[in-house]
Amino acid sequence: MSSHFEIALNRVRRSPYQAAAAISIMTMSLFLGCIFFLIAAGSQVILKFFETRPQINAFFKSDYVPSSSQVESLKSRLEATGKVGTVIYVSKEDALVVYKELNRSDPLLMEAVTAQMLPSSVEVSAKDPNNLKELAALLRTEEGVDDVRFAEDIIASLTKWTSSVRVVGGFLVGSHILITFFIIVLIIGIKVANRRDEITLMQLVGATPGYIAAPFVWEGIFYGLSGAVMAWGITYLILLYSMGFLVSFLAGIPILPPPIVFMLELLLGEIALGSLVGGLGGLLAVRRYLKA
Amino acid sequence: MVTAKNLTKKFGDIHAISDVSFAVEPGEFLFLTGPSGSGKTTLLRLILRELLPDSGSLVVNSHDLVKLKKKELPQIRREIGIVFQDFKLLPDRNIWENIAVPLEVRHLPKSQVDQAVKIALELVELSDKPTLFPAQLSGGELQRIALARAIAGKPKLLLADEPTGNLDPKTAKLIFKLLKDVHSELKTTVIVATHNAELVNLYSQRVISLNKGKLIKDSPAGKYE
Repeated sequence: MSSHFEIALNRVRRSPYQAAAAISIMTMSLFLGCIFFLIAAGSQVILKFFETRPQINAFFKSDYVPSSSQVESLKSRLEATGKVGTVIYVSKEDALVVYKELNRSDPLLMEAVTAQMLPSSVEVSAKDPNNLKELAALLRTEEGVDDVRFAEDIIASLTKWTSSVRVVGGFLVGSHILITFFIIVLIIGIKVANRRDEITLMQLVGATPGYIAAPFVWEGIFYGLSGAVMAWGITYLILLYSMGFLVSFLAGIPILPPPIVFMLELLLGEIALGSLVGGLGGLLAVRRYLKA
Repeated sequence: MVTAKNLTKKFGDIHAISDVSFAVEPGEFLFLTGPSGSGKTTLLRLILRELLPDSGSLVVNSHDLVKLKKKELPQIRREIGIVFQDFKLLPDRNIWENIAVPLEVRHLPKSQVDQAVKIALELVELSDKPTLFPAQLSGGELQRIALARAIAGKPKLLLADEPTGNLDPKTAKLIFKLLKDVHSELKTTVIVATHNAELVNLYSQRVISLNKGKLIKDSPAGKYE
């Protein structure tokens, strides 16, 4: 294996322009792959973040304060549906704390509001956003409930956006990977054609097809490997450079900085994809000749 | 070592080999003679299983080449050494690396490859030029390297296709001497396709003569006709 890899490296060294073209196209495709994967993964995390936030707020009438047994009974009924993630009771006092926290920069607003003026409420999160409507309808029938609000639209549009990113990204990355694959086949195919006499000689002295193909496959893997490392490095640099902007843009949503383990997994994924595309490209290029 | 029965190979309407039968015993040395286009090279290509016959049978070293499975082909070819008229040396590899090619494809350990290359280089008397590239050698030296490559793996059968076709008489004589040395030292079966009448007559070995694809004469200790 090592001698095949050495032969492959020698061939790469002897045709630097072809190698540069192969690595560039591989880097470009894998960079696109990196970016779209990060956007898809990021939007998935954002979606999860919103999904785990209280999605339904059922406000009681301002003059109605449910007893603790009523609250417990309501919680039990909601949990019995099996569609509820969490149920939190927010008393008038709790609501005032939240209100003050939100308006701490405006003392006038803080002074004007007392706990008695605010409604108590329950915050409910659903296991599946599709159940929001049903849970909201259930809450509306509860005694003392004045108003029910839920973030159906936000979740729905985020879900739509996430799946759009996946579809568009998948198509773009997929088509680039396919183009890259054919370019690798073409570049290694040229090298195979240039080494026709060598391949013929190898066959005549008893080389197996695998032995003849191995350096070409390794060459493809080398292109994939180099492209993957470069694409990942560029992506990481861009991500680090934009970190300040992204953190403020995504205020309150804790997805940045990405965990190093996640980034290393991304690198491994890129290497696996690049090596697969390059290796298969090399194999196809030489197999066509061996069959002919 | 080689048994051909009613061997026929056509290229379109042309009979390159027509109903040829002969047998070569292990350790034998024979010349395959005839004018250009008589079928010598085609016969060697059939023995090397580069071509398949249209009819007849061909057994090489107990392997029926007609029934041979594709995956068995590399193993059979490792038992055969071949010397080409145009040498077929790899221009981007040095002499040592060229001779090592048939050994490396057998996945032999490096020490074994080095030892075999060294012996082959000594046999063709080119031990002093292992790091030179083919472009730096003369025609005679190139053919000696091609011979060294063919014998490095100690083949049971050595085929030489017009090994002196591109060489001057003196170098041609040297190549023939080396082929004879290989035959006597390694006990290798040697088949030399040639139309060098002078050298064929000099060695008085078995001669199979072909003409227009047909075997016209098979004589022990024969002469070129």
